[in-house]
Amino acid sequence: MRKTAIGQALRHLGLLGGAIFMLGPVLMMLVSSFTPTGAILRREFLGSFTLDNYATVFETVPVLTYYRNSLLVCLGTLALQLLVCTPAAFALARLRFRGRDITVAALGALVLIPFQVIAIPIYLIFRQVGLIDTLAALILPFVGSAFAIFLLRQHFLTLPSAICDAAKLDGASTAATLLELVIPSSKPAFISLSVFTITSAWNAYFWPSFALTSNEFATVPFAVISFLNSESGTAYGPQMAMAMLAVLPLLIAYLFAQRQFINGLAMGSTSN
Amino acid sequence: MTAKPSSTAAYLLVAPAALLVTAFVLVPLVIVLVVSMFDVSLLKSSAEFVGLGNFQTELTSAAFHNALGNTLAYTAMLVPASMVLGLIAALLINGLSHGQTFWRAAYFLPYAATLVAMASVWRWLFARDVGIIDAIFGPLLGVSGWLNDQALALPAVAIVGIWHQIGFVTILYLAALGTIGGDQVDSAMIDGANGWQRFWHVTWPGLGPTTVFVFVMCVASALQAYDTIVALTGGGPVGATETLTHQIWTRGISYFDVGRASVLSLVLFVLSMAITVLQRRGAGRRLEMAGTR
Repeated sequence: MRKTAIGQALRHLGLLGGAIFMLGPVLMMLVSSFTPTGAILRREFLGSFTLDNYATVFETVPVLTYYRNSLLVCLGTLALQLLVCTPAAFALARLRFRGRDITVAALGALVLIPFQVIAIPIYLIFRQVGLIDTLAALILPFVGSAFAIFLLRQHFLTLPSAICDAAKLDGASTAATLLELVIPSSKPAFISLSVFTITSAWNAYFWPSFALTSNEFATVPFAVISFLNSESGTAYGPQMAMAMLAVLPLLIAYLFAQRQFINGLAMGSTSN
Repeated sequence: MTAKPSSTAAYLLVAPAALLVTAFVLVPLVIVLVVSMFDVSLLKSSAEFVGLGNFQTELTSAAFHNALGNTLAYTAMLVPASMVLGLIAALLINGLSHGQTFWRAAYFLPYAATLVAMASVWRWLFARDVGIIDAIFGPLLGVSGWLNDQALALPAVAIVGIWHQIGFVTILYLAALGTIGGDQVDSAMIDGANGWQRFWHVTWPGLGPTTVFVFVMCVASALQAYDTIVALTGGGPVGATETLTHQIWTRGISYFDVGRASVLSLVLFVLSMAITVLQRRGAGRRLEMAGTR
């Protein structure tokens, strides 16, 4: 019994040591965002609390515009993705039609292609049709998501077939079955997908760095890099405040819904 | 009479998604192949067929060899380190009687946090003289200014990548450890096996499929490293952290040479496919599990 108590304590100790590496940067960001740059450069923290760093960020860049852009991209991507992918996933899981199996197989292959490979051609298409530097450019490529269809389809397959069959006996139409029976009984899958889509969209920097050319439609990550490049290299206080502003919304959500985040992201990323 | 939904309904339900996937995945795949054989001038809106010319220029260029070398070196640093550290964290957490949820969430947090923002924090931590890392490790290791040092910049980027990746590995291993039967471990304990023997003969083989899967995911993530590079070094100093994925941006968007950027995209495609095909079935299984959660 003693031995296990010591074992438990050692495990916690080991994890605490690792947490210095894992959470240290987050903590340093938090503390130094409230510390004047001068004190940061002298590595004197906690001595001089200030909100000046945040004030500087809000004075020099349109933070609220960045938030608005990011929010629109997150919600736009999610809403359109659900609207487009849910019916497709349902049909591929529950309806019989010619070409279904090959469509499923094709999606299974397409889900493996990294977005980085097709960024250049999508950039060229958007240049051609004048979509560069718009919010639509940040949303459109991710609406028809092979991953989302795959994930929802896998879930729909696990629903008891009685749900669909009973509905047919009642004469319910396909659409009614989907809306009234299938979707309400698939909450966990929709939550996971939503967490994954919103987090990916909020954190995305790769595609915005192709599709955006100005700060007008900058999402928060794009703005972080612009800010980093525009400020003199050592304005660490405002830089940490900017980083905090970027991380904060998801961090707060994470504190309240860790389980959903871990499920959504750990399994979601398995396709990218 | 049962009302059998017609195929028409099914096609209507699938059509929008099929159209978008075609437009934003299939068509771009074809375009990237085509464009790789053209010398495209974005400014003059002209294109000239050059056959394999772009491949010849790009694949023999010093910039490509540098980027490929850096990508492989980065992968060699990121993958083993995040796998070993992630596994250790998972084993430590899995054996806890209290606080599993807390530590799981703590170790996963870096994976959820906005990476460019956190990389900008690491940029300060790594800053010459004024950063925490120089303050602590400078005297110990006799090195400073990692991000400005040709030899240390890529390891510094890898450290941030590892920091980001560990939590993901930990979660996958924790899920797998949860499915390894307690019976086997118990019977091994009754046989008098010590901790290491139990791990090596019971736990580690049981983790086999997960290890292969985690390996594939970590390699994929290493090949796609981008956010950290932009925030930390921008590819420098003198190309020391220029990788394939970052080079796609540099060639295509910064230099407007989309022909050569397409060649780079295809190289990334081939590398990614080589590693994913290895474990394609595993990925499918994983998705199935995810869907039923």
